[in-house]
Amino acid sequence: MNGGAVWRASRGAVKRRRVQTIVIGLVVFCSTATVLLALAVISAARAPFDTAFEAEHGAHVTAGFDPARASAEQLAATAHRPGVEAAAGPFDQTVVTIPTDWIGHAPGPLTLTGRPDPAAAPVDRVTVLAGRWATAPGEVVVATPGGAAERFLGSSIITNTGLKLTVVGFATDMSQSSGGWVTPEQMAALHPTARQMLYRFTDADTEQQLTASLGAATEGLPQDAVASAQSYLVLKQAFSAGADAYLPLMTVFGVLGLIVAALIVGNVVSGAVVSGYRHIGVLKSIGFTPRQVVTVYLTMVSVPAVVGTVLGTAAGWVAAYPILETAFTGISTGTAVIEPAGWLPVATLLGVPLLVALAALVPASRAHRFSAAQAISAGSAPRTGRGLKVQRWLSGTRLPRAVSLGLGQPFARPARTALTMAAITLGVVTVTVTTGVTGTLAKSFVPPDRNTHIDVLTAKFAEKKIEPRLTPEQTEAMLHATPGAERVSVRGLVRVGLVGQPQLVFANFYGGDDMVDHQRLRVVEGRPATGLGEIEAGPAFLDQHGVKLGDRLTLVLDGRQTTVTIVGKELQGNANAISSNAATRALLTPDPHVVEYDVRLAQGTDAAAYQKAITDADPSLTPSIVAPSTEGSVVAIQSFSTTFTVLLSVVAALGVFNTLLLTIRERRRDLGMLKAIGMTPRQVVAMTITSVAWQGVLSGIIGIPLGILTHRLIIEHVRIIAFTEGMIDVWGAPLLAALALAGVAIAVLGALVPARSAARLPIAEVLHNE
Amino acid sequence: MSNDHDGTTRPDDAQVVVELSGVHKEFGDAKALDGVDLRIRAGEAVAVMGPSGCGKSTLLNMVAGLDRPTSGTVRVQGQDLGQLNESGLALFRRRHVGMIFQFFNLIDDLPALDNVALAAQLTGTSAKQARRRALELLDELGVAHRKDVYPATLSGGERQRVAVARALMNRPALLLADEPTGALDSRSGEQVMDLLIDLNQIGQTLLIVTHDPNLATRCASRLVEVADGRVARERMLETQS
Ligand SMILES: Nc1ncnc2c1ncn2[C@@H]1O[C@H](COP(=O)(O)OP(=O)(O)O)[C@@H](O)[C@H]1O
Ligand SMILES: [Mg+2]
Repeated sequence: MNGGAVWRASRGAVKRRRVQTIVIGLVVFCSTATVLLALAVISAARAPFDTAFEAEHGAHVTAGFDPARASAEQLAATAHRPGVEAAAGPFDQTVVTIPTDWIGHAPGPLTLTGRPDPAAAPVDRVTVLAGRWATAPGEVVVATPGGAAERFLGSSIITNTGLKLTVVGFATDMSQSSGGWVTPEQMAALHPTARQMLYRFTDADTEQQLTASLGAATEGLPQDAVASAQSYLVLKQAFSAGADAYLPLMTVFGVLGLIVAALIVGNVVSGAVVSGYRHIGVLKSIGFTPRQVVTVYLTMVSVPAVVGTVLGTAAGWVAAYPILETAFTGISTGTAVIEPAGWLPVATLLGVPLLVALAALVPASRAHRFSAAQAISAGSAPRTGRGLKVQRWLSGTRLPRAVSLGLGQPFARPARTALTMAAITLGVVTVTVTTGVTGTLAKSFVPPDRNTHIDVLTAKFAEKKIEPRLTPEQTEAMLHATPGAERVSVRGLVRVGLVGQPQLVFANFYGGDDMVDHQRLRVVEGRPATGLGEIEAGPAFLDQHGVKLGDRLTLVLDGRQTTVTIVGKELQGNANAISSNAATRALLTPDPHVVEYDVRLAQGTDAAAYQKAITDADPSLTPSIVAPSTEGSVVAIQSFSTTFTVLLSVVAALGVFNTLLLTIRERRRDLGMLKAIGMTPRQVVAMTITSVAWQGVLSGIIGIPLGILTHRLIIEHVRIIAFTEGMIDVWGAPLLAALALAGVAIAVLGALVPARSAARLPIAEVLHNE
Repeated sequence: MSNDHDGTTRPDDAQVVVELSGVHKEFGDAKALDGVDLRIRAGEAVAVMGPSGCGKSTLLNMVAGLDRPTSGTVRVQGQDLGQLNESGLALFRRRHVGMIFQFFNLIDDLPALDNVALAAQLTGTSAKQARRRALELLDELGVAHRKDVYPATLSGGERQRVAVARALMNRPALLLADEPTGALDSRSGEQVMDLLIDLNQIGQTLLIVTHDPNLATRCASRLVEVADGRVARERMLETQS
């Protein structure tokens, strides 16, 4: 007996069990892809920030000080306080205003810091992406988290005070410590308004530790000396905010995928061994050693498992790029690299086959022990025990015999039944979670009214090269006066600076009849920012900027400042955007910066005629009918959920399918006999479906509460959307009833084909040739 | 069980139970049956003999409605089986045919009693009634004491007697047996033979496939020899009583 014989026997076994081989391959394929995707997002969201941050010696806290209250000497001394591991600074800072478009940026404020070349700095080694560091007055290095724009090297920036700075470099740092850097000498000439210190602390794991460490470092300074403090934890959080929306979901699906894969692979493999007892007996009788028999069975499973793993890894890898791209859209990535980690395919390529081998080992070792004589003479293992008692009891009940036989069948193989049920249960959990997530998302949007809305973009936004004929005030009046208009809302958009924070934020100023209309912004905490000096923002903004409801921020635009209060938390929103009203905008600038109008038409108005009338009045306007739309992240979450639900439900149904196929193969003789004594095809189908349907019902009873719990866990961990309790509670009686059917549906779906093939078994062949 | 026939004389005008005419059966290129004509009257015991692979089992399957002829007609109890669909055939088997096999084909999950009761329960008979009749039959066949035992622990002879009980459960007009003693030791084989003879004596129509001349001559009133898918010879046998 040599390896050739083992291989030949394995190949024969694979060929004879074609369907089973395909099922193993499919299950492994789906599971591998799921796991790889989930791991890709989880790892991408965590590792790159840390890696880049450590490489740069990033600042745990970037602190801004009031120069009137803390002298440079006092600040330099803070570097030697206990708890301070390293410090850089003090560096003087100021905010200049750039009145025109500059190297791809809109006009607005720019925070500048005077700092010598940071290449070897103890903290915050800013990475120069292109060009070089500023070495002479009149030179500036511009922060550009998105990537260098080399063609702009050598161009100049002119501030509103007439200062001309030549761009000599582009740089980025994970600490996001400044909008641009100049030499310290240049800064001295700019009348600095703040002093910056960059700290690394020995205790920096939590916000509390950071606050305590900063407190210890600045002890003895006058009160209010610290004007701003940016924590790296907040930046890290913001970095992965996009991915955070998916993380809980991906983690759950990843874990579910892994468990389902393990269960079904175990089920499939053990089934292959159990249904192969006679085959094993024959192999042993012709001289295969027990070890060789195990090898045959492991090989039989490995072939489809390896193919499934390789294809699944490839598919997951291909899908990972677009998914990561979606997840990290609009996030300042700095020097961090976002891509699926290289070790992931290695992990799945090694890990999944290992899992399969483990799953195969248990039943294969049973094959090892099985005596040849027993296998050949019985054709199947003699059964005793509890399962038989159940059969016995069922046959005495008043149920139709086909149904009671079906009910009893799963007890004959309790382990296989348990695995199948676990798979169905996880399928139900997946369906429940997805239904819940979708329901919550649906609830979180204001249902659109029945009126037609016209979105009118101004020349500014639509990038039309036509000069507007009307002023913003005239345009608003014209939109109102054109027949059909019911209400007109106005949105102004301008980038403003925040005092003490280097990044500009988008400020939306709403006005007109409705402050917020089809934007579907919803304030889930506090109240809408309709009053003077009030703003609202999404959870991502609050997180990233380390602020909460009731906090005050100072907005800077065109050299003017105004202090505003955060009064409302929106359901969701860009991490770099706030919303306010036209009156508050007027405190900063007389220009309304209108980018669009939303016109609600009276019912029955001819939308086309209205659009024509307003473009006739001012050709620079671009009107379009508003399609009811949903937010990108919602669409992304929904498509994730749907993808995973389909994948895992398919896998679960395949599990059922496989179990039944094995059961039928094993019970061919019984089925043939039942048909011989007069069981009709319909009774055979009824019996087979019954045998899994009750498992489906039971899975529903277990899976639904589990799914509801998981849904809540996920929703509460989505950081960029603030769901309210009303949105989380999506479970109505009809929905629960529908979900209860999910288990049955998965079970019956998997059962249909095997049930029909059971009904069609050629009796004569089965009874005489087995 | 009826006792209308005396078991020795078979009037020619007795009811025809089985009528095969011009039955052909091909499996791909291979001809299993090549024009078989056969009539069996109520109360007869017919033994089909012939070498292995000559088409005996195929013939039996045609009569049982387990398989369909390529051409020709099969009538059982006046019913043309070609006219029935799958469900119709299932109901036909339930009412009119009982079958026993060389390898018993009992359900391993069920004890002897429930294996027998099963046949009646499929037709909707209550579990209680079905078990009562099953017990009667097991008692008549001498295996009542084994009613709660699972097939795996029964001896071969006991298994075949349980299988016979199951076949008789619905009082079939026709009992079909395919090599009923083929898997049994000679003593158990004898017992099953005696059982079949007894059944025939009280009027049960039998069609037995075998290549055991002893079984044929002991049990059957008529011998049908099959060779290459055709009836080669038919002869009446002395019945022993
Ligand atoms: N399902 C089948 N498929 C193909 N050939 C078959 C099938 N059943 C029987 N045969 C062939 O038909 C012939 C008769 O078989 P069978 O009736 O089983 O013979 P026996 O007289 O031994 O019972 C044999 O050559 C056998 O190989
Ligand atoms: Mg045969």
